Amino acid sequence: MSFMKELTKGLIKENPTFVIVLGMCPTLATSTSVNNAIGMGMAATFVLVCSNIMISLIKNVTPDKIRIPVYVVVIAAFVSIVDMMMAAYVPDLHKSLGLFIPLIVVNCIILGRAEAYANKNNVLNSLADGIGMGAGFTLALTVVATFREILGNGTWAGLRIMPQTYDPMLMALLAPGAFITLGTLMATINLLKEKK
Amino acid sequence: MKFYLKLGLILLAFCIVATALLAYVNSITKPKIAAIKIKEAELAREELIPNSAFEEVTVKTGKDSIVYYVARDKATKELKGYTFTAAKIGYSSNVKTMAAMDKDFRILGIKVVEQAETPGLGANCTDSTFTKKFRGLTPDQLMVDKDGGKIQSMTGATITTRAVTNSLREQIALVKKDVEAKLAALPAQEVTP
Amino acid sequence: MKDKYTVSPAPHLHDRTSIPNVMWNVVIALLPALAFAVYYWGWRSLWLTLIGVVAAVATEALIQYLRKVPVTVYDGSAVLTGMLLTYNISADSPWWLPIMGSVFAIAIGKQAFGGLGNNPVNPALLGRAFLLASWPSLMTGNCWIRTLPHKLSESSINGISNLSLIHANLQGVSAKAYDLVTSATPLKVAQTLRDSSFVNTITTDPATNLDISGKMFKSLFDMGTLRSLFWGNVGGCIGEVSVFALLLGAIYLLWKNIIEWRIPLFYIGTVFVLTFLFGGIEGAGPSILLPFFHIFSGGLMLGAFFMATDYTTSPLTKNGRIVFAIGCGVLTVVIRLVGGYPEGVSYSILFMNVMTPLIDKLTMPKAFGRVKK
Repeated sequence: MSFMKELTKGLIKENPTFVIVLGMCPTLATSTSVNNAIGMGMAATFVLVCSNIMISLIKNVTPDKIRIPVYVVVIAAFVSIVDMMMAAYVPDLHKSLGLFIPLIVVNCIILGRAEAYANKNNVLNSLADGIGMGAGFTLALTVVATFREILGNGTWAGLRIMPQTYDPMLMALLAPGAFITLGTLMATINLLKEKK
Repeated sequence: MKFYLKLGLILLAFCIVATALLAYVNSITKPKIAAIKIKEAELAREELIPNSAFEEVTVKTGKDSIVYYVARDKATKELKGYTFTAAKIGYSSNVKTMAAMDKDFRILGIKVVEQAETPGLGANCTDSTFTKKFRGLTPDQLMVDKDGGKIQSMTGATITTRAVTNSLREQIALVKKDVEAKLAALPAQEVTP
Repeated sequence: MKDKYTVSPAPHLHDRTSIPNVMWNVVIALLPALAFAVYYWGWRSLWLTLIGVVAAVATEALIQYLRKVPVTVYDGSAVLTGMLLTYNISADSPWWLPIMGSVFAIAIGKQAFGGLGNNPVNPALLGRAFLLASWPSLMTGNCWIRTLPHKLSESSINGISNLSLIHANLQGVSAKAYDLVTSATPLKVAQTLRDSSFVNTITTDPATNLDISGKMFKSLFDMGTLRSLFWGNVGGCIGEVSVFALLLGAIYLLWKNIIEWRIPLFYIGTVFVLTFLFGGIEGAGPSILLPFFHIFSGGLMLGAFFMATDYTTSPLTKNGRIVFAIGCGVLTVVIRLVGGYPEGVSYSILFMNVMTPLIDKLTMPKAFGRVKK
C-alpha cells in the first residue's frame, strides 16, 4: 500500500465516523458547533498521530497477550502529557481545546487504529494512517456540526447564516438532534454509495 | 507461571516508564500552570473592578474556608467592593463564577471562569448576554425567574442558570456575614490600635 | 396474487374494518374538539389544523413517492397524525409550527421506520416532543393564554373561578401570589402550589403561607373550576381544551367499536386513584373532587382516548393493554406530582409505546396444548 493511499483512505472510503462508526461519544458531544468540532478533530488527530507512531514503534516488544493494556497506558499517558504541556505553554489554545482533551482518552478511534492498523504496519504508514483518520474524523465532525449549528443556532462557525428572525430549532443541539443528524447523514451516504 | 510473570513485568515496565514521564512533565508544568491561573484570576478581578488594589481575606467557617478579596481604589484607598469565586454543580460540571460586588453587596459584574456544560445550551453562560443580566442586582433578586427572582433562565439550560445564580447568592451571604461581623468589630479595633 | 389464494379453515369472519375506515372514523371523532376550539379561540385554530394536516399528507406522499412504494395518503393515517399533532399546540402558534411538527412526525416518526404499522411510537406525540425540545418558548408557559378563550377575563386567566376572588384578598400581601393567579394553565398552578420552596416565599409567616396556598389549591377543584375545565373555558392547546367535546368523540369511537374500553378506562382510572391518594397538599386535605381536577385538565382525555389507543403502538393482548394503561397512568401522575413539567401525558404514552413489544411478549397467552418448556 502506498503512502498516499494510506493518507487519503480515512477521508471518505474508510471514514472513521460514517463508515467504521467509531468514536461516537465525542462525535455526539462536540458536534454542537463548528468551532468545537474542528477543535476536537484537531486535538484527536494530534493524539492519534502520536499514538500511532508510538504503538508502531513498540509493536515488536509488546507481547500479544497484554497489548491492549499497554496501548491504554501509552494513550492515556500521551493525552495527559499533551494536556499538561498545552496548559503550561500555550494556555490560549488549551482554553479552547482543553475541554476536549479528557474526552480523547475515551475516543475509541485511537485504540481502534492502534489495534487494527498501527501494531501491524511500519512507522511511516502508521503516521499516514493517523493523519488520514484524524482528518476524516475532523471532516465528519464538521459536517455534522454544520447542520446542527445552522439549525440549532442559526450560525456557522459563529457567523450568522440564518436571518435574525429565524427561531432556532433547539433540538438540533440536544442529544436527539445529534443522533438524528448522524443517522440521516449515514443514510444519505449509504444511498449515494448504492447508486454508484 | 514464568510466562505470566514475564507479561506482568513487561506491563509493569511500561507503567513505570509512563508514570515517570508523567511525573517529570507534571513537575515542570505544574508551577507554570499555577502561575497562569493566578495571573488569569488577577486579570479577571482587574476587569471586574478596575484600578483597584486587592487584599485577600480568608475566613474559616467550620471545616471550610471562604476566600474573598477586598478592592480599594489604588489612589484614594477608598473601599470599592469585594470579589469572590462561587461554585456549584451545574448540569454536567462544576460551574465556577467569579463575581464582583460594590460595598452595598450589589453585583457589579460576573464572569464564568470554569465550566463544561452542554455546548450551545449551558455553555452559553460564558456569553456576555447572560452575564450582564446579573449587573446591578441585590442578593434578594439573585434567583432564577422560575423560583421567583430576577434572572431569566437561558433557554434549555435552567439547571446551569440555577447553578450560577444560587452559587452566587449563597456565597454573597457568606461574604456579607463576614464583612458585617468585621465592620461591627471595627470601632473596638480603633480604640486599641 | 398471494393474497387472493389464501387457504384457511372455517369459520371465515369478515367485517368492514379496514385502515381507512378506522382512521377516518377517528378523524370524525376529533371534529367536535375542533369545533370547540374554533368557538373559543377563533378561526386560527382551524387554519393551523389544516396547515398541519396538509403538511403531514404532503410529507407522507413525497416520501412514499421517493421510496417508490404505493402512495397511501387516502387511508387517512397522515391526516390523523397531522390533526393530533396540531391539537397539541397553542391556537396562537406561528403558522410554521404545525408544519415543522407534522414533517418531523411523518418523516422521522413514521416513514423512517417503514411507514404505517412499523412506527415504534405514536408519530404525533413524537412530533410534539420534537416541538417541545426545539421551541420550548412556543410550547410551554404563557403561550397557552396569549389568545384567551373569549369568556375568560385577564383576572381569571386560567379558568380557575375563585382564584381571582382570593387574589383580591391577597392584594398587598404578595406580588408572587398575583403572578401565580396569572400563570398559564390550572396544572401549572397546581404544580407551583405543591412546590414548598415557592409557598414559603409568599409571606414571611409560615401559617399564613399554608392558609393562602391551601385556599388557592382548593379553588382548583371547586365546582366552578371543574365546570370551566369540562366545557373547555381554560387556557390550553387546541385539542385538549374541552373534556365534553373529547368525550363526545370517544363515545362515538367506543360505539363504533374502533377503540377498546380497556386502555382509556384503566389509564384514567389509575390517574384518578393515584391523584386522590397523593394529590393533596399541606393545607388542603384530600377531597373526592381533586381527582376530577386531574382527569379534566391537561391532555389526559385526548391522550387516553385518541393517542394511547393507537393500534400500532399499544399492546395486542387484553392483559397487555391493562398493563400498558396502568403504566401510562402511573407515569402521568408521577410527572405531574413530582416531575419538572406540569403535564406528563405525552411522555408517559411515548414511554409506554416503547415498552409495548416487551409487554406483548410477557402477556402473550400460551397456545393451547403446547407443553411448557
